[in-house]
Amino acid sequence: MKRRDKDGLSPRFPHGSDTLASGLAVAALALLVGFVSLPLLSLVVWTVDKGAWRAMASPVAVDALLLSVRTTAITMAMLLLVGTPAAYVLARADFRGSRVINALIDIPVVLPPSAAGIALLLAFGRLGLVGQYLNVFGVTLSFTTAAVVMAEVFVAAPFYIRQAATGFSAVDRTVEEAALVDGASRSTVFFKVTVPLAFPALVAGALTAWARALGEFGATVIFAGSFRGVTQTIPLAIFAEFQRDLDAAVALSVLVLGFAFTVILAVRHLTARTTGHRA
Amino acid sequence: MGSIATEIGSVYGRVYLYLLVAALIPGLALAGLTGCGQGSSGGAEGKEGGETLTILAASSLTYGFGELAGTFEEQNEGVEVKQSFGASSDMLAQIQQGAPADVFASAAQEEMNTAVKDDLVAGKPEVFVKNREIVMVPKGNPAGIKEFRDVADHGVKLVLAQKDVPAADYAIEILGKANAEYGSTFKQDVLSNVVSREADVRASVNRVVVGDADATFGYASDYTPDIRNKVKIVPIPPELNIIATYPIAALEDAKYPGLAKKWVELVTSKEGQRVLEKWNFEPAA
Repeated sequence: MKRRDKDGLSPRFPHGSDTLASGLAVAALALLVGFVSLPLLSLVVWTVDKGAWRAMASPVAVDALLLSVRTTAITMAMLLLVGTPAAYVLARADFRGSRVINALIDIPVVLPPSAAGIALLLAFGRLGLVGQYLNVFGVTLSFTTAAVVMAEVFVAAPFYIRQAATGFSAVDRTVEEAALVDGASRSTVFFKVTVPLAFPALVAGALTAWARALGEFGATVIFAGSFRGVTQTIPLAIFAEFQRDLDAAVALSVLVLGFAFTVILAVRHLTARTTGHRA
Repeated sequence: MGSIATEIGSVYGRVYLYLLVAALIPGLALAGLTGCGQGSSGGAEGKEGGETLTILAASSLTYGFGELAGTFEEQNEGVEVKQSFGASSDMLAQIQQGAPADVFASAAQEEMNTAVKDDLVAGKPEVFVKNREIVMVPKGNPAGIKEFRDVADHGVKLVLAQKDVPAADYAIEILGKANAEYGSTFKQDVLSNVVSREADVRASVNRVVVGDADATFGYASDYTPDIRNKVKIVPIPPELNIIATYPIAALEDAKYPGLAKKWVELVTSKEGQRVLEKWNFEPAA
Protein backbone atom coordinates (compact mmCIF):
# COMPACT_ATOMS: atom_id res chain seq x y z
CA MET A 1 0.00 0.00 0.00
CA LYS A 2 2.83 2.32 0.88
CA ARG A 3 4.40 1.81 -2.52
CA ARG A 4 1.19 2.37 -4.31
CA ASP A 5 0.71 5.71 -2.55
CA LYS A 6 4.19 6.80 -3.41
CA ASP A 7 3.90 5.75 -7.01
CA GLY A 8 0.60 7.53 -7.28
CA LEU A 9 1.76 10.76 -5.69
CA SER A 10 5.32 11.41 -6.77
CA PRO A 11 4.65 12.42 -10.37
CA ARG A 12 2.34 15.18 -9.22
CA PHE A 13 4.80 16.78 -6.79
CA PRO A 14 8.11 18.31 -7.75
CA HIS A 15 11.11 17.08 -5.78
CA GLY A 16 11.46 20.04 -3.39
CA SER A 17 7.99 19.81 -1.96
CA ASP A 18 8.37 16.05 -1.77
CA THR A 19 11.31 16.47 0.61
CA LEU A 20 9.36 19.07 2.56
CA ALA A 21 6.37 16.75 2.80
CA SER A 22 8.40 13.82 4.08
CA GLY A 23 10.20 16.15 6.50
CA LEU A 24 6.86 17.29 7.88
CA ALA A 25 5.65 13.72 8.11
CA VAL A 26 8.74 12.72 10.09
CA ALA A 27 8.30 15.74 12.34
CA ALA A 28 4.69 14.74 12.91
CA LEU A 29 5.79 11.27 13.90
CA ALA A 30 8.41 12.66 16.27
CA LEU A 31 5.79 14.93 17.84
CA LEU A 32 3.47 11.99 18.33
CA VAL A 33 6.18 9.78 19.79
CA GLY A 34 7.13 12.50 22.25
CA PHE A 35 3.55 13.19 23.20
CA VAL A 36 2.90 9.53 23.95
CA SER A 37 6.19 8.63 25.57
CA LEU A 38 6.64 11.65 27.86
CA PRO A 39 3.62 10.92 30.10
CA LEU A 40 4.61 7.25 30.27
CA LEU A 41 8.15 8.24 31.15
CA SER A 42 6.83 10.59 33.84
CA LEU A 43 5.00 7.70 35.46
CA VAL A 44 8.18 5.66 35.68
CA VAL A 45 10.31 8.62 36.80
CA TRP A 46 7.87 9.45 39.61
CA THR A 47 7.76 5.83 40.71
CA VAL A 48 11.56 5.57 40.90
CA ASP A 49 11.95 9.02 42.42
CA LYS A 50 9.39 8.61 45.20
CA GLY A 51 10.09 4.95 45.77
CA ALA A 52 6.47 4.18 44.96
CA TRP A 53 7.41 0.59 44.09
CA ARG A 54 6.25 -0.59 47.48
CA ALA A 55 2.67 0.41 46.71
CA MET A 56 2.66 -2.15 43.89
CA ALA A 57 2.77 -4.95 46.43
CA SER A 58 0.01 -3.41 48.56
CA PRO A 59 -3.13 -5.53 49.02
CA VAL A 60 -5.16 -2.96 47.07
CA ALA A 61 -2.83 -3.21 44.07
CA VAL A 62 -2.53 -6.99 44.17
CA ASP A 63 -6.29 -7.48 44.51
CA ALA A 64 -6.98 -5.01 41.71
CA LEU A 65 -4.48 -6.63 39.37
CA LEU A 66 -5.79 -10.13 40.05
CA LEU A 67 -9.36 -8.94 39.54
CA SER A 68 -8.42 -7.23 36.27
CA VAL A 69 -6.66 -10.38 35.07
CA ARG A 70 -9.65 -12.52 36.01
CA THR A 71 -12.38 -10.30 34.60
CA THR A 72 -10.60 -9.51 31.33
CA ALA A 73 -9.84 -13.21 30.86
CA ILE A 74 -13.50 -14.12 31.30
CA THR A 75 -14.50 -11.21 29.06
CA MET A 76 -12.17 -12.41 26.31
CA ALA A 77 -13.31 -16.02 26.64
CA MET A 78 -16.91 -14.89 26.25
CA LEU A 79 -16.07 -12.56 23.37
CA LEU A 80 -14.17 -15.26 21.48
CA LEU A 81 -16.87 -17.81 22.13
CA VAL A 82 -19.86 -15.65 21.20
CA GLY A 83 -18.22 -12.92 19.15
CA THR A 84 -16.44 -15.15 16.64
CA PRO A 85 -19.52 -16.91 15.25
CA ALA A 86 -21.49 -13.67 15.49
CA ALA A 87 -18.82 -11.87 13.48
CA TYR A 88 -18.87 -14.67 10.92
CA VAL A 89 -22.61 -14.30 10.47
CA LEU A 90 -22.22 -10.54 10.10
CA ALA A 91 -19.51 -11.02 7.49
CA ARG A 92 -21.21 -13.73 5.49
CA ALA A 93 -24.96 -13.40 5.76
CA ASP A 94 -26.60 -10.56 3.90
CA PHE A 95 -29.92 -10.49 5.64
CA ARG A 96 -32.58 -7.89 6.07
CA GLY A 97 -31.67 -5.56 8.92
CA SER A 98 -28.00 -6.47 8.86
CA ARG A 99 -27.14 -2.79 8.47
CA VAL A 100 -29.12 -1.90 11.55
CA ILE A 101 -27.46 -4.70 13.52
CA ASN A 102 -24.05 -3.58 12.30
CA ALA A 103 -24.71 -0.06 13.49
CA LEU A 104 -26.12 -1.30 16.80
CA ILE A 105 -23.04 -3.40 17.51
CA ASP A 106 -20.83 -0.34 16.93
CA ILE A 107 -22.74 1.92 19.30
CA PRO A 108 -20.76 1.04 22.46
CA VAL A 109 -17.67 2.33 20.67
CA VAL A 110 -19.03 5.85 20.47
CA LEU A 111 -21.07 5.76 23.67
CA PRO A 112 -19.16 7.29 26.59
CA PRO A 113 -18.50 4.42 29.02
CA SER A 114 -20.22 6.30 31.83
CA ALA A 115 -23.38 6.43 29.70
CA ALA A 116 -22.96 2.71 29.08
CA GLY A 117 -22.75 2.23 32.86
CA ILE A 118 -26.00 4.09 33.44
CA ALA A 119 -27.64 2.08 30.66
CA LEU A 120 -26.45 -1.21 32.18
CA LEU A 121 -27.60 -0.07 35.62
CA LEU A 122 -31.08 0.77 34.35
CA ALA A 123 -31.30 -2.55 32.54
CA PHE A 124 -29.64 -4.99 34.95
CA GLY A 125 -29.71 -3.15 38.28
CA ARG A 126 -31.93 -4.55 40.99
CA LEU A 127 -34.90 -2.41 39.94
CA GLY A 128 -33.86 -2.35 36.29
CA LEU A 129 -35.87 -3.33 33.26
CA VAL A 130 -34.43 -6.85 33.26
CA GLY A 131 -32.92 -6.79 36.72
CA GLN A 132 -36.25 -6.70 38.53
CA TYR A 133 -37.16 -10.08 37.03
CA LEU A 134 -33.74 -11.53 37.73
CA ASN A 135 -34.15 -10.30 41.30
CA VAL A 136 -37.29 -12.41 41.66
CA PHE A 137 -35.13 -15.47 41.02
CA GLY A 138 -32.63 -14.27 43.57
CA VAL A 139 -30.11 -13.07 41.00
CA THR A 140 -28.67 -9.65 41.69
CA LEU A 141 -25.89 -8.45 39.45
CA SER A 142 -25.05 -5.05 40.89
CA PHE A 143 -21.89 -5.00 43.02
CA THR A 144 -20.75 -8.41 41.73
CA THR A 145 -17.76 -9.44 39.65
CA ALA A 146 -20.27 -10.59 37.04
CA ALA A 147 -21.31 -6.96 36.63
CA VAL A 148 -17.68 -6.01 35.97
CA VAL A 149 -17.48 -8.64 33.23
CA MET A 150 -20.76 -7.42 31.73
CA ALA A 151 -19.46 -3.86 31.61
CA GLU A 152 -16.24 -5.02 29.97
CA VAL A 153 -18.02 -7.18 27.42
CA PHE A 154 -20.39 -4.32 26.60
CA VAL A 155 -17.65 -1.82 25.83
CA ALA A 156 -15.08 -4.21 24.33
CA ALA A 157 -17.26 -6.43 22.14
CA PRO A 158 -17.49 -4.12 19.10
CA PHE A 159 -13.71 -3.84 18.87
CA TYR A 160 -13.38 -7.61 18.46
CA ILE A 161 -16.50 -8.27 16.42
CA ARG A 162 -15.84 -5.52 13.91
CA GLN A 163 -12.28 -6.59 13.24
CA ALA A 164 -13.20 -10.29 13.18
CA ALA A 165 -16.02 -9.62 10.70
CA THR A 166 -13.64 -7.66 8.48
CA GLY A 167 -11.18 -10.55 8.68
CA PHE A 168 -13.85 -13.09 7.80
CA SER A 169 -15.16 -11.12 4.85
CA ALA A 170 -11.62 -10.95 3.46
CA VAL A 171 -11.48 -14.77 3.36
CA ASP A 172 -12.04 -15.92 -0.19
CA ARG A 173 -15.30 -17.80 -0.43
CA THR A 174 -14.03 -20.07 -3.19
CA VAL A 175 -11.47 -21.52 -0.78
CA GLU A 176 -14.24 -22.40 1.66
CA GLU A 177 -16.37 -23.81 -1.12
CA ALA A 178 -13.51 -25.93 -2.42
CA ALA A 179 -13.13 -27.50 1.01
CA LEU A 180 -16.87 -28.16 1.12
CA VAL A 181 -16.73 -29.83 -2.28
CA ASP A 182 -13.91 -32.00 -0.97
CA GLY A 183 -16.35 -33.31 1.59
CA ALA A 184 -15.44 -31.31 4.68
CA SER A 185 -18.30 -30.41 6.98
CA ARG A 186 -19.29 -26.78 7.47
CA SER A 187 -17.85 -26.64 10.96
CA THR A 188 -14.60 -28.26 9.80
CA VAL A 189 -14.30 -25.67 7.06
CA PHE A 190 -14.91 -22.91 9.61
CA PHE A 191 -12.29 -24.14 12.06
CA LYS A 192 -9.72 -25.50 9.59
CA VAL A 193 -10.01 -22.98 6.77
CA THR A 194 -11.85 -19.79 7.64
CA VAL A 195 -10.49 -19.18 11.14
CA PRO A 196 -6.83 -19.82 10.19
CA LEU A 197 -7.15 -17.49 7.20
CA ALA A 198 -8.75 -14.77 9.28
CA PHE A 199 -6.42 -15.40 12.22
CA PRO A 200 -4.36 -12.19 12.02
CA ALA A 201 -7.53 -10.12 12.10
CA LEU A 202 -8.92 -12.15 14.98
CA VAL A 203 -5.77 -11.68 17.03
CA ALA A 204 -5.60 -7.97 16.29
CA GLY A 205 -9.27 -7.57 17.20
CA ALA A 206 -8.88 -9.60 20.37
CA LEU A 207 -5.93 -7.49 21.48
CA THR A 208 -7.78 -4.24 20.90
CA ALA A 209 -10.82 -5.57 22.74
CA TRP A 210 -8.70 -6.84 25.61
CA ALA A 211 -6.96 -3.50 25.95
CA ARG A 212 -10.32 -1.77 25.99
CA ALA A 213 -11.64 -4.17 28.65
CA LEU A 214 -8.53 -3.68 30.78
CA GLY A 215 -8.94 0.09 30.68
CA GLU A 216 -12.68 -0.03 31.35
CA PHE A 217 -13.59 2.46 34.05
CA GLY A 218 -16.79 4.44 33.61
CA ALA A 219 -19.24 1.63 32.99
CA THR A 220 -17.73 -0.47 35.76
CA VAL A 221 -17.71 2.20 38.45
CA ILE A 222 -21.33 3.08 37.71
CA PHE A 223 -22.79 -0.36 37.10
CA ALA A 224 -20.67 -2.59 39.33
CA GLY A 225 -19.56 -0.18 42.05
CA SER A 226 -16.14 -0.27 43.64
CA PHE A 227 -15.08 -2.81 46.23
CA ARG A 228 -11.65 -4.29 46.77
CA GLY A 229 -11.30 -7.77 45.37
CA VAL A 230 -14.84 -7.90 43.99
CA THR A 231 -15.42 -5.00 41.62
CA GLN A 232 -12.39 -2.75 42.05
CA THR A 233 -10.34 -3.37 38.91
CA ILE A 234 -7.08 -1.53 38.31
CA PRO A 235 -8.60 1.59 36.73
CA LEU A 236 -11.04 1.90 39.65
CA ALA A 237 -8.24 1.36 42.16
CA ILE A 238 -6.20 4.08 40.45
CA PHE A 239 -9.12 6.49 40.72
CA ALA A 240 -9.78 5.60 44.37
CA GLU A 241 -6.10 5.90 45.29
CA PHE A 242 -5.76 9.19 43.43
CA GLN A 243 -8.08 10.71 46.00
CA ARG A 244 -6.04 9.38 48.90
CA ASP A 245 -2.49 8.57 47.98
CA LEU A 246 -0.93 9.83 44.76
CA ASP A 247 2.10 7.53 45.06
CA ALA A 248 -0.13 4.49 45.15
CA ALA A 249 -2.10 5.74 42.14
CA VAL A 250 1.14 6.22 40.21
CA ALA A 251 2.42 2.80 41.22
CA LEU A 252 -0.82 1.18 40.06
CA SER A 253 -0.57 3.00 36.75
CA VAL A 254 2.95 1.72 36.21
CA LEU A 255 1.81 -1.74 37.21
CA VAL A 256 -0.98 -1.80 34.64
CA LEU A 257 1.35 -0.30 32.04
CA GLY A 258 3.82 -3.13 32.59
CA PHE A 259 1.08 -5.72 32.59
CA ALA A 260 -0.48 -4.49 29.35
CA PHE A 261 2.93 -4.28 27.72
CA THR A 262 3.79 -7.83 28.75
CA VAL A 263 0.53 -9.25 27.47
CA ILE A 264 0.74 -7.46 24.14
CA LEU A 265 4.36 -8.53 23.61
CA ALA A 266 3.53 -12.09 24.59
CA VAL A 267 0.57 -12.32 22.24
CA ARG A 268 2.58 -10.84 19.39
CA HIS A 269 5.41 -13.22 20.01
CA LEU A 270 3.12 -16.26 20.24
CA THR A 271 1.22 -15.38 17.11
CA ALA A 272 4.10 -13.93 15.10
CA ARG A 273 4.57 -17.05 12.99
CA THR A 274 0.95 -17.34 11.92
CA THR A 275 0.16 -13.69 11.58
CA GLY A 276 3.28 -12.22 10.10
CA HIS A 277 3.51 -8.52 10.85
CA ARG A 278 -0.13 -7.70 11.19
CA ALA A 279 -0.69 -8.56 14.83
CA MET B 1 -8.17 -1.40 -4.03
CA GLY B 2 -9.74 -4.26 -2.16
CA SER B 3 -7.27 -4.00 0.66
CA ILE B 4 -7.90 -0.27 0.99
CA ALA B 5 -11.60 -0.91 1.23
CA THR B 6 -11.03 -3.45 3.98
CA GLU B 7 -8.77 -0.99 5.76
CA ILE B 8 -11.47 1.60 5.68
CA GLY B 9 -14.01 -0.99 6.67
CA SER B 10 -11.87 -2.04 9.62
CA VAL B 11 -12.86 -1.10 13.11
CA TYR B 12 -10.48 1.84 13.13
CA GLY B 13 -11.91 3.26 9.97
CA ARG B 14 -15.41 3.03 11.33
CA VAL B 15 -14.46 4.38 14.74
CA TYR B 16 -12.67 7.30 13.19
CA LEU B 17 -15.64 8.02 10.99
CA TYR B 18 -18.05 7.90 13.90
CA LEU B 19 -15.75 9.88 16.15
CA LEU B 20 -15.26 12.42 13.45
CA VAL B 21 -18.99 12.89 12.98
CA ALA B 22 -19.64 12.68 16.72
CA ALA B 23 -16.90 15.18 17.49
CA LEU B 24 -17.65 17.51 14.63
CA ILE B 25 -21.19 18.40 15.58
CA PRO B 26 -20.69 19.30 19.26
CA GLY B 27 -17.24 20.61 18.32
CA LEU B 28 -18.73 23.10 15.92
CA ALA B 29 -21.42 23.98 18.41
CA LEU B 30 -18.79 24.48 21.09
CA ALA B 31 -16.66 26.58 18.79
CA GLY B 32 -19.70 28.76 18.20
CA LEU B 33 -20.43 29.00 21.92
CA THR B 34 -16.91 29.77 23.04
CA GLY B 35 -16.73 32.29 20.25
CA CYS B 36 -19.75 34.04 21.75
CA GLY B 37 -18.43 33.54 25.26
CA GLN B 38 -15.12 35.11 24.43
CA GLY B 39 -16.87 37.98 22.79
CA SER B 40 -19.03 38.79 25.77
CA SER B 41 -16.36 38.27 28.42
CA GLY B 42 -13.97 40.32 26.36
CA GLY B 43 -16.49 43.10 26.42
CA ALA B 44 -17.06 42.81 30.15
CA GLU B 45 -13.40 42.76 31.01
CA GLY B 46 -12.94 46.44 31.45
CA LYS B 47 -16.16 46.93 33.37
CA GLU B 48 -16.76 46.33 37.03
CA GLY B 49 -17.96 42.79 37.62
CA GLY B 50 -17.45 40.06 35.06
CA GLU B 51 -15.75 38.24 37.90
CA THR B 52 -16.14 34.58 38.69
CA LEU B 53 -16.12 33.35 42.25
CA THR B 54 -14.96 29.73 42.33
CA ILE B 55 -16.03 27.56 45.23
CA LEU B 56 -14.92 24.02 45.99
CA ALA B 57 -17.30 22.42 48.45
CA ALA B 58 -18.32 19.13 50.03
CA SER B 59 -20.93 17.38 47.91
CA SER B 60 -23.49 17.53 50.75
CA LEU B 61 -23.58 21.31 50.18
CA THR B 62 -24.70 20.94 46.56
CA TYR B 63 -28.26 22.17 47.06
CA GLY B 64 -27.73 24.65 49.88
CA PHE B 65 -24.83 26.38 48.16
CA GLY B 66 -26.63 26.11 44.86
CA GLU B 67 -29.44 28.23 46.25
CA LEU B 68 -27.05 30.67 47.93
CA ALA B 69 -25.18 31.11 44.66
CA GLY B 70 -28.34 32.64 43.20
CA THR B 71 -28.63 35.00 46.17
CA PHE B 72 -24.97 35.95 45.86
CA GLU B 73 -25.24 36.69 42.16
CA GLU B 74 -28.27 38.89 42.84
CA GLN B 75 -26.44 40.79 45.55
CA ASN B 76 -23.27 41.22 43.50
CA GLU B 77 -24.17 42.23 40.03
CA GLY B 78 -22.00 40.88 37.24
CA VAL B 79 -20.45 38.24 39.46
CA GLU B 80 -20.78 34.64 38.47
CA VAL B 81 -20.54 31.89 41.08
CA LYS B 82 -18.90 28.72 39.84
CA GLN B 83 -19.09 25.75 42.18
CA SER B 84 -17.60 22.32 42.13
CA PHE B 85 -18.86 19.69 44.54
CA GLY B 86 -17.27 16.43 45.55
CA ALA B 87 -15.83 14.56 48.48
CA SER B 88 -14.08 17.03 50.79
CA SER B 89 -10.95 14.90 50.50
CA ASP B 90 -11.15 15.20 46.73
CA MET B 91 -11.68 18.95 46.84
CA LEU B 92 -8.70 19.28 49.18
CA ALA B 93 -6.58 17.25 46.77
CA GLN B 94 -7.58 19.58 43.96
CA ILE B 95 -6.61 22.64 45.99
CA GLN B 96 -3.30 21.02 46.94
CA GLN B 97 -2.63 20.45 43.27
CA GLY B 98 -3.22 24.10 42.55
CA ALA B 99 -6.77 24.14 41.23
CA PRO B 100 -7.79 27.79 40.87
CA ALA B 101 -10.40 28.42 43.57
CA ASP B 102 -11.44 31.17 45.96
CA VAL B 103 -13.32 29.33 48.71
CA PHE B 104 -13.12 25.88 50.28
CA ALA B 105 -16.02 24.47 52.31
CA SER B 106 -15.31 21.11 53.90
CA ALA B 107 -17.60 18.56 55.53
CA ALA B 108 -14.98 17.82 58.16
CA GLN B 109 -12.37 19.61 60.22
CA GLU B 110 -9.67 17.20 59.13
CA GLU B 111 -9.52 18.35 55.50
CA MET B 112 -9.62 21.99 56.54
CA ASN B 113 -6.86 21.42 59.09
CA THR B 114 -4.70 19.95 56.37
CA ALA B 115 -5.44 22.93 54.15
CA VAL B 116 -4.44 25.29 56.97
CA LYS B 117 -1.30 23.30 57.66
CA ASP B 118 -0.33 23.44 53.98
CA ASP B 119 -0.78 27.25 54.01
CA LEU B 120 -3.55 27.06 51.45
CA VAL B 121 -6.06 29.05 53.51
CA ALA B 122 -6.26 32.79 54.03
CA GLY B 123 -7.19 33.73 57.58
CA LYS B 124 -8.97 31.43 59.97
CA PRO B 125 -11.60 28.89 58.90
CA GLU B 126 -15.07 29.33 60.35
CA VAL B 127 -17.53 26.60 61.25
CA PHE B 128 -20.75 27.55 59.44
CA VAL B 129 -23.11 24.56 59.80
CA LYS B 130 -23.50 21.22 61.45
CA ASN B 131 -24.85 18.05 59.96
CA ARG B 132 -25.77 14.71 61.43
CA GLU B 133 -25.43 11.26 59.95
CA ILE B 134 -28.47 9.21 59.01
CA VAL B 135 -29.03 5.84 57.41
CA MET B 136 -30.98 5.89 54.16
CA VAL B 137 -32.88 2.92 52.75
CA PRO B 138 -34.96 2.57 49.57
CA LYS B 139 -38.65 3.31 50.06
CA GLY B 140 -39.47 -0.38 49.55
CA ASN B 141 -36.87 -1.23 52.21
CA PRO B 142 -35.93 -4.62 50.68
CA ALA B 143 -33.68 -5.56 53.59
CA GLY B 144 -36.30 -4.68 56.19
CA ILE B 145 -34.18 -2.20 58.13
CA LYS B 146 -36.48 -0.82 60.83
CA GLU B 147 -33.93 0.57 63.23
CA PHE B 148 -30.28 1.46 63.14
CA ARG B 149 -28.99 -1.84 64.52
CA ASP B 150 -30.60 -3.73 61.61
CA VAL B 151 -27.84 -2.56 59.24
CA ALA B 152 -25.75 -5.34 60.78
CA ASP B 153 -28.25 -8.00 59.65
CA HIS B 154 -26.72 -10.66 57.48
CA GLY B 155 -27.13 -10.01 53.76
CA VAL B 156 -27.84 -6.28 53.89
CA LYS B 157 -26.25 -4.65 50.84
CA LEU B 158 -24.61 -1.61 52.37
CA VAL B 159 -22.86 1.07 50.36
CA LEU B 160 -20.40 3.53 51.86
CA ALA B 161 -18.45 6.44 50.45
CA GLN B 162 -14.81 5.55 50.07
CA LYS B 163 -12.18 5.81 52.74
CA ASP B 164 -11.19 9.35 53.77
CA VAL B 165 -14.53 10.79 52.64
CA PRO B 166 -15.80 12.41 55.87
CA ALA B 167 -19.29 10.87 55.67
CA ALA B 168 -17.75 7.39 55.56
CA ASP B 169 -15.19 8.13 58.26
CA TYR B 170 -17.99 9.39 60.52
CA ALA B 171 -19.95 6.22 59.80
CA ILE B 172 -16.99 4.10 60.91
CA GLU B 173 -16.69 6.23 64.05
CA ILE B 174 -20.38 5.74 64.80
CA LEU B 175 -20.07 1.98 64.32
CA GLY B 176 -17.18 1.97 66.75
CA LYS B 177 -19.28 3.73 69.34
CA ALA B 178 -22.18 1.36 68.66
CA ASN B 179 -20.05 -1.66 69.53
CA ALA B 180 -20.47 -0.80 73.18
CA GLU B 181 -24.23 -0.73 72.75
CA TYR B 182 -24.95 -3.59 70.37
CA GLY B 183 -22.13 -6.03 71.06
CA SER B 184 -18.50 -6.16 70.10
CA THR B 185 -19.01 -7.64 66.63
CA PHE B 186 -21.50 -4.98 65.51
CA LYS B 187 -19.03 -2.83 63.59
CA GLN B 188 -17.45 -5.87 61.98
CA ASP B 189 -20.86 -7.25 60.99
CA VAL B 190 -21.86 -3.96 59.41
CA LEU B 191 -18.58 -3.60 57.53
CA SER B 192 -18.86 -7.14 56.17
CA ASN B 193 -22.13 -6.00 54.58
CA VAL B 194 -20.40 -3.32 52.51
CA VAL B 195 -20.70 -4.12 48.79
CA SER B 196 -19.28 -0.94 47.31
CA ARG B 197 -17.24 2.14 48.24
CA GLU B 198 -18.36 5.13 46.23
CA ALA B 199 -16.47 8.27 45.26
CA ASP B 200 -18.56 10.55 47.48
CA VAL B 201 -21.73 10.68 49.59
CA ARG B 202 -24.07 11.68 46.79
CA ALA B 203 -22.93 8.67 44.77
CA SER B 204 -23.57 6.32 47.68
CA VAL B 205 -26.99 7.90 48.29
CA ASN B 206 -27.81 7.45 44.60
CA ARG B 207 -27.14 3.73 44.98
CA VAL B 208 -30.06 3.67 47.39
CA VAL B 209 -32.15 5.94 45.17
CA VAL B 210 -31.85 3.56 42.19
CA GLY B 211 -32.59 0.69 44.57
CA ASP B 212 -29.44 -1.36 44.13
CA ALA B 213 -28.24 -0.86 47.68
CA ASP B 214 -30.25 -1.72 50.79
CA ALA B 215 -28.75 1.05 52.87
CA THR B 216 -26.14 3.76 53.02
CA PHE B 217 -24.80 6.26 55.51
CA GLY B 218 -25.33 9.86 54.52
CA TYR B 219 -25.97 13.24 56.02
CA ALA B 220 -29.37 14.55 57.03
CA SER B 221 -28.79 17.19 54.34
CA ASP B 222 -28.62 14.47 51.71
CA TYR B 223 -32.30 13.74 52.23
CA THR B 224 -33.17 16.26 49.53
CA PRO B 225 -36.68 16.88 48.16
CA ASP B 226 -35.91 15.24 44.82
CA ILE B 227 -35.30 11.85 46.44
CA ARG B 228 -37.87 11.91 49.24
CA ASN B 229 -40.31 9.75 47.30
CA LYS B 230 -37.63 7.14 46.72
CA VAL B 231 -35.81 6.80 50.03
CA LYS B 232 -36.60 6.59 53.74
CA ILE B 233 -34.56 7.71 56.71
CA VAL B 234 -33.56 5.38 59.50
CA PRO B 235 -32.30 7.63 62.29
CA ILE B 236 -29.12 6.87 64.18
CA PRO B 237 -29.64 7.07 67.97
CA PRO B 238 -28.41 10.51 69.09
CA GLU B 239 -26.09 9.07 71.74
CA LEU B 240 -24.22 7.20 69.00
CA ASN B 241 -24.44 9.84 66.32
CA ILE B 242 -21.69 12.18 65.34
CA ILE B 243 -22.27 15.81 64.58
CA ALA B 244 -20.23 16.87 61.59
CA THR B 245 -18.99 20.44 61.71
CA TYR B 246 -18.44 22.20 58.39
CA PRO B 247 -15.61 24.73 58.20
CA ILE B 248 -15.33 27.28 55.41
CA ALA B 249 -12.42 29.50 54.44
CA ALA B 250 -11.19 31.82 51.72
CA LEU B 251 -8.13 30.43 49.98
CA GLU B 252 -4.65 31.92 49.99
CA ASP B 253 -4.41 31.85 46.20
CA ALA B 254 -7.89 33.26 45.67
CA LYS B 255 -8.19 35.33 42.53
CA TYR B 256 -11.00 37.34 44.13
CA PRO B 257 -10.26 37.52 47.87
CA GLY B 258 -12.90 40.22 48.33
CA LEU B 259 -15.64 38.10 46.81
CA ALA B 260 -14.42 35.07 48.75
CA LYS B 261 -14.80 37.02 52.00
CA LYS B 262 -18.25 38.18 50.94
CA TRP B 263 -19.29 34.59 50.24
CA VAL B 264 -18.15 33.44 53.69
CA GLU B 265 -20.10 36.37 55.16
CA LEU B 266 -23.23 35.39 53.24
CA VAL B 267 -22.98 31.76 54.30
CA THR B 268 -22.60 32.68 57.98
CA SER B 269 -25.23 35.44 57.85
CA LYS B 270 -28.79 34.98 59.12
CA GLU B 271 -30.01 34.61 55.57
CA GLY B 272 -27.39 32.06 54.65
CA GLN B 273 -28.09 30.05 57.76
CA ARG B 274 -31.83 30.11 57.02
CA VAL B 275 -31.24 28.73 53.52
CA LEU B 276 -28.91 26.00 54.78
CA GLU B 277 -31.38 25.05 57.52
CA LYS B 278 -33.95 24.59 54.81
CA TRP B 279 -31.66 21.94 53.33
CA ASN B 280 -31.56 20.03 56.65
CA PHE B 281 -28.37 21.51 58.04
CA GLU B 282 -28.17 22.64 61.63
CA PRO B 283 -26.96 26.14 62.47
CA ALA B 284 -23.39 26.35 63.65
CA ALA B 285 -24.12 28.26 66.82
